[in-house]
Amino acid sequence: MSKLFTVSPSPHNYGKDTVRSLMYGVIIALIPTLAISLYFFGLGALIVTLVSVVSALIFEYLITKFLLKKQPDILDGSALITGLLLAFNVPSNLPIIIIIIGALVAIGIGKMTFGGLGNNPFNPALVGRVFLLISFPVQMTSWPLPIQSRMHYLDAMTGATPLGIVKEGIKNGEKVSDLMSQIPSHMQLFIGNMGGSLGEVAGIAILLGLAWLLYKKVITWHIPISMIGTIVIFTGILWLINPDKYLDPLFHVLTGGVLLGAVFMATDYVTSPMTHKGMIIFGIGIGFLTVIIRIFGAYPEGVSFAILIMNAFVPLINMYVKPKRFGEVINNG
Amino acid sequence: MLNLNDLGRLLIMAKKTESTLKNMLVALFVIAFISSTTLGYVYEFTKGPISDARLKKKVEAIKIVVPEFTNNPNLDSYKIPSDMPDSLECYPAYKDSTLVGTAIRTFSDIGFSKRIYLMVGFLPNGTIHNISVLEHSETPGLGDKMDKKKSKWSEQFNGKNPESYKLKVTKDGGNVDAITAATISSRAYAQAVDRAYKAYMANKK
Amino acid sequence: MSKINLVTKGFLKENAVLVLFLGLCPTLGTTTSAINGLAMGLATTFVLIMSNTVVSLVKSLIPDMVRIPAFIVIIATFVTVVELTMQAFVPELFEVLGLFIPLIVVNCIILGRAEAFASKNNVFDSILDGLGMGLGFAFALTILGAIREILGSGAIFGMKFFSGDGMLVFVLAPGAFLVLGYLIAITNKINSKKA
Repeated sequence: MSKLFTVSPSPHNYGKDTVRSLMYGVIIALIPTLAISLYFFGLGALIVTLVSVVSALIFEYLITKFLLKKQPDILDGSALITGLLLAFNVPSNLPIIIIIIGALVAIGIGKMTFGGLGNNPFNPALVGRVFLLISFPVQMTSWPLPIQSRMHYLDAMTGATPLGIVKEGIKNGEKVSDLMSQIPSHMQLFIGNMGGSLGEVAGIAILLGLAWLLYKKVITWHIPISMIGTIVIFTGILWLINPDKYLDPLFHVLTGGVLLGAVFMATDYVTSPMTHKGMIIFGIGIGFLTVIIRIFGAYPEGVSFAILIMNAFVPLINMYVKPKRFGEVINNG
Repeated sequence: MLNLNDLGRLLIMAKKTESTLKNMLVALFVIAFISSTTLGYVYEFTKGPISDARLKKKVEAIKIVVPEFTNNPNLDSYKIPSDMPDSLECYPAYKDSTLVGTAIRTFSDIGFSKRIYLMVGFLPNGTIHNISVLEHSETPGLGDKMDKKKSKWSEQFNGKNPESYKLKVTKDGGNVDAITAATISSRAYAQAVDRAYKAYMANKK
Repeated sequence: MSKINLVTKGFLKENAVLVLFLGLCPTLGTTTSAINGLAMGLATTFVLIMSNTVVSLVKSLIPDMVRIPAFIVIIATFVTVVELTMQAFVPELFEVLGLFIPLIVVNCIILGRAEAFASKNNVFDSILDGLGMGLGFAFALTILGAIREILGSGAIFGMKFFSGDGMLVFVLAPGAFLVLGYLIAITNKINSKKA
């Protein structure tokens, strides 16, 4: 099949983008987030990130070479991103063996089972993360306290995430305004001073990454904005109806994985729709599902599940939302 | 109408029976008749063992939670009202006509999923002897640690008297150490025990 | 087709679960451990052999137009027998499998074999077919159950070899789909090599 030439009508224009250049664009955008997580979680963050990235690369190499029997290209950056994003989605006191299992699931089940880069319907890092969340619920939901746990790894002091505190408080019939004293202020949330996964805490760093990705045209605005916008509108309506029971929209956006998911995970090329219109539908779907899970579901956080569910809809979206063919005349009947 | 001639013809006929209304009725009738007769016999045969097995399960649960007894707690069982519309079933355990303990079947609705049923055994002075989980559908790996088969968590209740031992998780100001990452299930468990204790003390004869 | 072939085809070549994709509901629902898978498989095997035998015996007596209801009544009878017996003599097993035992009635393998095989072949062949298909089903369920038990609870046939919890996802429904998917892939690979 590879011997066939692709024949397409002119004009031909050679794009300068390669898989490698796009992937490294994403990696650069991830650096501020990594830096902040190292600042807040210190040693644990370092160990988790290194183990995750190295094992993702090793599994990518081994599976491509021995199971798919292809020439491995582990430096194309995709396995590196999967490893980084997996690390960003777990707490910093996760035991090494669990991280390795996560990397194996992310690369092995999430990506290689479907035929490698470009064929996977689901975001590999999120497949790994959700697998770990369901498999090891205790380890995956004990969150080290920021700053205090800098010099600790497995023995870090743990607490709940702001979303977890609020979800449990509301279930006990407490009012949001009373709960607010237990959680950091919005400003603290914005710089990332809260319990949570490595990469999801620092809103400001993720926004820096977003600015870089938009500037470099690695991604477009459609998915992040439609997703965050939906969350703001949906939670805003609930908040206006009953501010004692529902949190304000800004809190929803700044906590949990909303920003990380919107900027780095929902925008994955392989698992998001092709057209801009499709991307907006995709983003709205993720935002909607996230709020549904957060407010009505059993888990306090729902971004990973929402993105995976919408990943499954991408082929359908691509089928119904097609770009207009060049020269096609809209039939007015 | 079924007559013996038709039945005989059906049975000896080697050729495929035709789908006439009479043949169809006869065939279905015969099959239904044979199968219901068979099932009737099997039911009669297994009825005893099935109710024995059910009773044994209940008595096993009672045996776990109260000290050794000689009576049949199932025969002596009575009901006491609780703070909810549903009343609680009590199984008193006597050893040589002295009350050694009471097993109470209690429940809680504030768990993670469906209603949780526990069998709690109290000594006559109200001290908890032992507790076992009858039914639950809490999350595997988290809430299901309340089950003795999964972890030793529930042993912390044994030998405690709720008069001095507050049946609430430590987070809510009680004495119960919650299961790691499963405060909701632990809270429900404590509530069920508390419900049984209050009902038991209020209705003590 | 030789007599031995009638029995062995159920294991790989025409495995009910892994190749024909029949009876997936009990397959996914009951296989949280090897022993559960085996028990469900054997219960199904019993029903399959008995219903194949009876259907094959009475095939010429049943008019074509009512054959499906007739088969279902026969199958349901045997399933109820299994259910009552299990409830009476192995209540622990019934507690785990209870929900799925009545569902054997609507298991496509059983009606499928009655319709496709037993109603066209003689009694002896039908028994062999029921045995092969049933054991193949039990084989698939046991393997699936064993893998899920090893990974999910760190045990095999109830014997723990790993202290602490396993990967819980394998005890839950997603793990069943995951393992089944990989088993199907492996079966396809083996079958395509043979062909």
